[in-house]
Amino acid sequence: MSNFSGSKYAVFGLTTCVIALLSLLANLNPPLHGDEPTPAGEDSSPAVETTINFSRDISPILSENCFSCHGFDEASREADLRLDTFAGATGEDGGTAGIVPNDPNASELVARILSDDADMLMPPPDSGRKLSAKQVQLLTTWVSQGAQYSKHWSFTPPERLMPPKVKGVEHPIDRFIVSRLAQEKKSPTQRADSHTLIRRLSLDLSGLPPSVAEIEQFEIDAAADFDAAYSQLVDKLLASPHYGERWGRWWLDQARYADSNGYSIDGPRQIWSYRDWVVNALNNDMPFDQFTVEQLAGDLLPDPTQQQKIATGFHRNTQINQEGGIDREQFRVDSVFDRVATTGTVWLGLSVGCAQCHDHKFDPISQVEYYRMFAFLNDQDEPSMKVYGPNVDVELLKQDFERAKSQLQDMVDQSENVDAVSAWAEGIDAKEKEKLGKRTAQALDKKPSDRTLDHKRSLFKAAGDAIDEKTREEFERLEKQFNDADAKLNRTATTLVMKERDEPRKTMLLIKGDFTRPDKEVSPGTLSVLHPFEISSDRANRMDLARWIVSPENPLTARVIVNRIWLHYFGRGIVESENDFGLQGSVPTHPELLDWLANRFVDGGWSMKDMHRLIVTSHTYQQSSVNHDERFDPGNYYLTRQQRLRLDAEIVRDVALSASALLAPDLGGPPVYPPIPDGVMGQGQVKRGWNTSKGKDRYRRGLYTFKFRATPPPSLNVFDAPDGLSTCTRRNRSNTPLQALTLMNDPAFFEFATSLEKVIKRDGLITAFRRCTSRTPTEEELNVLIKMDTLNAARTLLNLDETITRE
Amino acid sequence: MTSFQNKHDQLQSELLKRQTRRHFFSRCQMGIGSMALGSLMADRAMAAPAMSENPMQPKPSHFPAKAKNVIFLFMAGGPTQLETFEHKPELNKRSGQPIPQSFIEGKRFAFMDSSHRTNLLGATQKFKQYGSNGAWVSDLLPHTGKIIDELTLVKTCKTDLFNHAPAKFFMNTGSGQFGRPSMGSWVTYGLGSECDDLPGFLVLQSGPRGPRGGATLWNSGVLPTSYQGVPLRNQGDPILNLSTPESISPEQQKHLVDAVKELNLKRLVETGDQEIATRINAYELAYKMQSSAPKLMDTSDESAETLDLYGIKDPNEASYARNCLLARRLVQRGVRFIQLYHTNWDHHGGPTENLQEHLPKICKEIDQASSALILDLKRRGMLEDTIVIWGGEFGRTPMGEVRENTGRNHHIDAFTMWFAGGGFKPGTIYGETDEFGFAPVENPVHVRDIHATLLHQLGLDHEKLSVRFQGLDFRLTGVEPAHVVKDLLA
Repeated sequence: MSNFSGSKYAVFGLTTCVIALLSLLANLNPPLHGDEPTPAGEDSSPAVETTINFSRDISPILSENCFSCHGFDEASREADLRLDTFAGATGEDGGTAGIVPNDPNASELVARILSDDADMLMPPPDSGRKLSAKQVQLLTTWVSQGAQYSKHWSFTPPERLMPPKVKGVEHPIDRFIVSRLAQEKKSPTQRADSHTLIRRLSLDLSGLPPSVAEIEQFEIDAAADFDAAYSQLVDKLLASPHYGERWGRWWLDQARYADSNGYSIDGPRQIWSYRDWVVNALNNDMPFDQFTVEQLAGDLLPDPTQQQKIATGFHRNTQINQEGGIDREQFRVDSVFDRVATTGTVWLGLSVGCAQCHDHKFDPISQVEYYRMFAFLNDQDEPSMKVYGPNVDVELLKQDFERAKSQLQDMVDQSENVDAVSAWAEGIDAKEKEKLGKRTAQALDKKPSDRTLDHKRSLFKAAGDAIDEKTREEFERLEKQFNDADAKLNRTATTLVMKERDEPRKTMLLIKGDFTRPDKEVSPGTLSVLHPFEISSDRANRMDLARWIVSPENPLTARVIVNRIWLHYFGRGIVESENDFGLQGSVPTHPELLDWLANRFVDGGWSMKDMHRLIVTSHTYQQSSVNHDERFDPGNYYLTRQQRLRLDAEIVRDVALSASALLAPDLGGPPVYPPIPDGVMGQGQVKRGWNTSKGKDRYRRGLYTFKFRATPPPSLNVFDAPDGLSTCTRRNRSNTPLQALTLMNDPAFFEFATSLEKVIKRDGLITAFRRCTSRTPTEEELNVLIKMDTLNAARTLLNLDETITRE
Repeated sequence: MTSFQNKHDQLQSELLKRQTRRHFFSRCQMGIGSMALGSLMADRAMAAPAMSENPMQPKPSHFPAKAKNVIFLFMAGGPTQLETFEHKPELNKRSGQPIPQSFIEGKRFAFMDSSHRTNLLGATQKFKQYGSNGAWVSDLLPHTGKIIDELTLVKTCKTDLFNHAPAKFFMNTGSGQFGRPSMGSWVTYGLGSECDDLPGFLVLQSGPRGPRGGATLWNSGVLPTSYQGVPLRNQGDPILNLSTPESISPEQQKHLVDAVKELNLKRLVETGDQEIATRINAYELAYKMQSSAPKLMDTSDESAETLDLYGIKDPNEASYARNCLLARRLVQRGVRFIQLYHTNWDHHGGPTENLQEHLPKICKEIDQASSALILDLKRRGMLEDTIVIWGGEFGRTPMGEVRENTGRNHHIDAFTMWFAGGGFKPGTIYGETDEFGFAPVENPVHVRDIHATLLHQLGLDHEKLSVRFQGLDFRLTGVEPAHVVKDLLA
């Protein structure tokens, strides 16, 4: 662009050209229906002459176009033809034969996809589906090559392979990426600047931007020895407790965590102990297999600890309908449906939930198997559990409590004390009584014989001088003991947990998923298309399910999880459909890399921190996100560059808090109530209170904001924070005018701006700019800001695209 | 093959390419540096085909549309059809007697374990015949009676769910589950909006409390949040965070918007990231909304005669009537989908929700304004392009409920809704129910059929308007068969 002439004629020429193009494009309909672009476009498909790879080339076409009528689901199968197995397609199973291997001319399938006759053509024109010429050619070639089927790629174990050798490239991830790029005659972009890297790393690993001092130090260290400085920074960030907050949110999205019961009544609930459990587990780098077992079945571990029980809150993050007139069983069953679907999506990357009403139309999951999975999650009671503080010995505490209680009882019942109190009580007039407070007044109103210990205690306290000093001191001491024990024992937080029933429920297959239409009974079991299931006792339970999921033989879980970690770093997974690794899912862009990472994850003891370290130390991760060549691979599937990503909702807040020097970095505890605009809580059926937090709780990280499912906090909602209604494995990244209004005008953001203004006044514009973006502004940029009053300059900084983006 | 998300991302980024270009070539007064930028952008433009300009840009329909806009008057809580449009002398005659067992065998109702009753309850209101088709309308809705020739009454609406929140989701999203895209989201996703300074899907509320289900009712679900309904609020800013902070002058706000734009543009040149172009557009629309939304709310340009027509006494006071007027103003501005919620129609018979006292009151609240909306749209020539829908999430049982007073339970087998404008056949009564109004005896119209018909009038094929999510193609009408009810259409 540097040698562009700048002639106005050139501009006119260009304008005309663009207008012509626009009018041409205006005729293209928006994609209302699912004919979505394939990853990396048509060019990534092999030339038709080469050998066909069933999984990559054929299966997606069949699944998309044929399986809804000729697939796994027998009930909706047409013409007795199934095309999802070799035996079915060739008629070996006794059904209609659609394919004669090696003989396309004799194959009905080929005749039908080539037909000119609308009545014969497949897929039928009225289905809205149509094969492209290339797809027709692929299918025909495949038939002529013998129509070989292979098991869907994700149902076979990850392949054991070494990263390809690439000259001058060491990091295993880079070797996969660079060797694939080399096929396109492309190479990666250069490494990003140090200030970009430290901001990228800090936001990705801790969700907080680096301080100016940290940036400066890193720039110096990196100039001296980049690798050492970088790896030190990675270690520091992974060791920071904020790592658990940042990646905890990643998991909490999948766990559909929120602080209320959902549905229309949406009462508040306490389950934040589960949130803290997740954050701590990640900070301690709990291996992912253990992380899984504790959440799915922590209560079934031998002598489970309180923490392991808290972990089972994962599946208590379902909604509870408190509406009047409902059939509770209906909504309990709904919550089990949600648990089955969530388990399938989160750990298996499969849309298991699709088999709730009928056999899965695309993946080999029968409705019976669905209810076998359902049976694991149908055998629980759903209690609330008290959560005691760390190092609390509950038995000892109970003893302390009872002792203090009985000593207090003795004291208030001692005859001289009783006399003293009643003498005092008789001398109280109405005016004095009013001053004593409600509780004491109530106690006074009771007949002495009806007074409880609580009544007697408050009178004892109120009587003051009427009781001798020594007794009073002794009373105070006992009161303190009693109150302390009472608080720790009885007024402690609670959390929702799973508890296995002594008598399992009968699980029946439900016709069309309707709980009023039970069919035959089924026993717990897993999906037969995957690895074998072993049970440890007579009746399989959640523990067996959890162990089956984390079995090293499971072909899916490790792939699904590393893919979902990868997705956070590049904005897209190696498998783009991060929640669907089934036949309808996308084909991996780098299948070998995915398998290598999955094996490494399991071999490395399921360490998530190890996986993070591995990814962020690759050049692929460290590349600049500047887009120099959009003609090639506009969607960046090959990763010739990093990707600018708008920050997650909570982190938009965290960055603004941090930049404006307001952030209260405290970890954990009950959710908080930062200021929200008036009238928001009236949006639900029941108007919920929002007692705005005072002091530092106004400035806690977005992770800790109380989240009502029906009326989520607007400034988080507007930036696509999930609502906790169902599992979210990938957030949307919208870009809307309401976001602009929030950043410009929301009272909370305005407050942040007034604080950032102080930073400007104290430390200057350049420092404020760096607090927001981690880089030094150019002179031109500074000129824009200098012309503004300081408050408006602060607002501008918080509104920059760059401030809310990880570059 | 790829997920919906990808498609959306692509769409977003493509649209920005175009928008950016337009920016450079028509809107922005930029110097030499920007020409260089322009050429850079133009180069990119060749790289991939553009699809759409911004999420709300008007998009072509599947086939020619009969209607452009929708106003859905949602009577939250489930209005009784038996005190409004269903005149059933037999029910009145047998009031107090048990309903024959054959009607209710095997059926499930709300409150089965407590207040549900099986004795018939006669209508608590008198009916009169109106219009050229002699439609029966109760004395509670005299204004509606007078415009009956404009309406298409459907007496055999059916739904699947009998609790409020799930049933509301079902009426709005085609599914009883939380978190599916609502009708307004689908319509704006499919068609965009013709208003460029207000959101394309707006929600207005009146009544003593919010509708059950809350903000989830106008959720965009698996569609991008750009298609989420935006509540037009009665209190404070009409749109959340619309007002500039108090201490900031209009000049300062303009300065902010300009500075943000200038700095974002520089970053766009630096990085080549089209998302920045989207953000620049978003700020532009946000800034426009800051002045267009207050103008919308300021009804001082409406004549006294118009205010009287709607029955608006104080135009600054929030009410259903004022929301009806605002709905008309929104349609005038090209806003695609407007939904009004009015609570509370849940007349079980309790002390605050019975047929004797509260039903007449709420009917009065909506009767004049609903009919005024039709008359007003018509005289302005807007009714033919605008579909107006009146109805709730379900109806109410012919059996009475006896709590402190009398009421009726939730009923899903037959209830009445009306449609007007947008190619619906005026003066039509469709569907007939049995002698008690319990179930259709002919022409049932399921919620799915209502959805299919509505989309059809907007030029959208309900089977084609879909989105891929978690391996499934989601549609407003779901997987069960749905039919366009041609008999309702002109």
